[in-house]
Amino acid sequence: MTTPSASVQLDHGAALRAAAALQSAAPQGTATVARESRGQTVGDVRSPNPRIRCSDVNVYYGEKQAVRNVNVDVGKNEVLAMIGPSGCGKTTFLRCLNRMNDTIAGCRVTGEIVMDERDINGRDVDVVPLRAQVSMVFQKPNPFPKSIWENVAFGPRIHGIARTRADLDEIVEQSLQRAGLWDEVKDRLGEPGTGLSGGQQQRLCIARSIAVQPEVILMDEPCSALDPISTARIEQLIDELREEYSICIVTHSMQQAARVSQRTAYFHLGDLIEVGDTKEIFTRPRHQLTEDYITGRFG
Amino acid sequence: MTEAAVLTAPRPPRRNVEAIMAGMPRRRAAERRFRLYGRLAIGLGLAFLVLLFASIVSNGYTAFWQTHVRLDIPLEAAALDPDGKRDPDALRRADYGGLVKQTLRGMFPDATGRSERIALYGLVSNGAAFEIRDRVLADPSLIGRTLSVWVPADDDVDMLMKGNLERAGPEKDRRLKDNQLRWIDQLAADGRLEKRFNVDFFTRGDSRDPELAGIWGAAVGSIYTLLVTLLLSFPLGVAAAVYLEEFAPRNRWTDLIEVNINNLAAVPSIVFGLLGLAVFINFFGLPRSAPVVGGLVLTLMTLPTIIIASRAALKSVPPSIREAALGIGASPQQAMMYHVLPLAMPGMLTGTIIGMAQALGETAPLLMIGMVAFIADIPGGALDPATALPVQIYLWADSPERAYVERTSAAIMMLLAFLIAMNLVAVLMRRRFEKRW
Repeated sequence: MTTPSASVQLDHGAALRAAAALQSAAPQGTATVARESRGQTVGDVRSPNPRIRCSDVNVYYGEKQAVRNVNVDVGKNEVLAMIGPSGCGKTTFLRCLNRMNDTIAGCRVTGEIVMDERDINGRDVDVVPLRAQVSMVFQKPNPFPKSIWENVAFGPRIHGIARTRADLDEIVEQSLQRAGLWDEVKDRLGEPGTGLSGGQQQRLCIARSIAVQPEVILMDEPCSALDPISTARIEQLIDELREEYSICIVTHSMQQAARVSQRTAYFHLGDLIEVGDTKEIFTRPRHQLTEDYITGRFG
Repeated sequence: MTEAAVLTAPRPPRRNVEAIMAGMPRRRAAERRFRLYGRLAIGLGLAFLVLLFASIVSNGYTAFWQTHVRLDIPLEAAALDPDGKRDPDALRRADYGGLVKQTLRGMFPDATGRSERIALYGLVSNGAAFEIRDRVLADPSLIGRTLSVWVPADDDVDMLMKGNLERAGPEKDRRLKDNQLRWIDQLAADGRLEKRFNVDFFTRGDSRDPELAGIWGAAVGSIYTLLVTLLLSFPLGVAAAVYLEEFAPRNRWTDLIEVNINNLAAVPSIVFGLLGLAVFINFFGLPRSAPVVGGLVLTLMTLPTIIIASRAALKSVPPSIREAALGIGASPQQAMMYHVLPLAMPGMLTGTIIGMAQALGETAPLLMIGMVAFIADIPGGALDPATALPVQIYLWADSPERAYVERTSAAIMMLLAFLIAMNLVAVLMRRRFEKRW
């Protein structure tokens, strides 16, 4: 069982950590590596069938720039994996896609993130429906300290997707089934979600995200706190979910990226270095930094 | 260093282990000393607590028993109800005091002369007449019969029976004179003097006669005052904390507000009393001595405590919970109401109960708004004049009669009982709200 204080630092901390790491890495790192690679991302940043199109996205934490000129598409029904060393800005970028960075004081995002032909950073965009459309699963499983049923039913209820208990029951069952958790918890929906194992908790969080019927699911290192068996289940789940959703996943595990994603984006110190088909990236990386990273020379 | 060199290098000497072992007794001694200090501190604290309770209880428990005198009072119809109509108004106006005096004269015919008789009447409380009146009003069929009734003895008699008054010494220095002592001894010998459970203490308001003075009026005043305080300070405090912690932008204004809330928590309470006097009574024209004003003043005093505790409780809710809710599209208000607030509630309740406990024990601001007045009636609402438990303690502690000493301690016991009851409610509520992780 994890303590609440531990989860205090994670999640929220992830983005801040990215900023902090960037600050400390900046003096040597940017001078040599980033300058030569700045500006142009190698590979096909555009997707033939885009769901979200990002152009020149920059993110600043106060004075520090955490993400620099990122251009990339998230395609429909594809899993886009974001890999890169710690503090490279991948989590920060991910959080731009449903404006979770709004919750961090001093964080500023520029550039265009277009979804359904409008910029989600626009003044007229309400984050509440946006986040229902682009929901998020976090690094650390964070079920609400309520019953399993309540965890899943919360989203549909606040959005008014279902009003009656019967409708909610149906959504809860469907979502848990999609998340591959139904058989394990169907007899104890009234028990607290926090009483489940780590892997089950994370699948509960995924079920909670699915329940609001989003179009894009953002996953921030969803398996980093889990054992290999739970990880395998969730990876299988991601593969199944792709049929209906677009998924962006941040991961530290290159094997995981290779297993679950169709396209991969490699970040390095705030720059998007290379984007391409996952097979291509892992077999024939075009950029020196990408090759160094996937062959384990650093990172 | 090459690999070969590493392999052939001599093993590190065991000297560091020896050095560590040599230092261990000192470290263990320091450890033991450290624990001893802690135990001493706790022991000392407990000792003082025991001393405090022992002194209060030993001083005050006697107040729960009061000496009563049994009088056989002939309720003559001619004296009480000359018309024979049993009219309640007439019965209420009848001279019961005269009956008591007549009965006493009958019991002690040796009391002749004005001063002797006054001394004799002084043995029985002024409340005796009211006691008899109430009996007659409740049951007019008693008229014509002889009523055998236990009435409270005067506080001097009570003190004598409890061993707090001297029998010896020159007569002129004693509160009870020789003839009074003789009558008391005779009453005791006849079995007409008895210590009985002091119901009046728990059911009456304040009185100038210690034997008739009760705590209930002050308790009711405290209840109304705290009710007003709770109803105002809890919602206000929680709303302010939620806004400041979750929604307010961080800028110079909110910083200023935060600093001022912290400062307010340190303002001496009598200042709030002055403020209440100036604003609520003089400006808004609210009644003096009323629990509603007391409650308002104590709200001002309690608010900073509740706000600070509530903000701390909100801060301790893991941000992952907020992010989880926001991440599936909950509005900030929904994330707050459904998830953050329930988790922060136990901490908020703790802060509230600390604030309420402070408010319960607060005297100084109530003095400023007139809740220190002598009020014999039990308040019927938050706008009636009232006093509060700590003020009652202060008033009694200030009174010259010996019998108020034990009543002061008894009132303190009541105040502590109140506190314990409040804390108990808080603990139970907190347990209800607490979530297991």
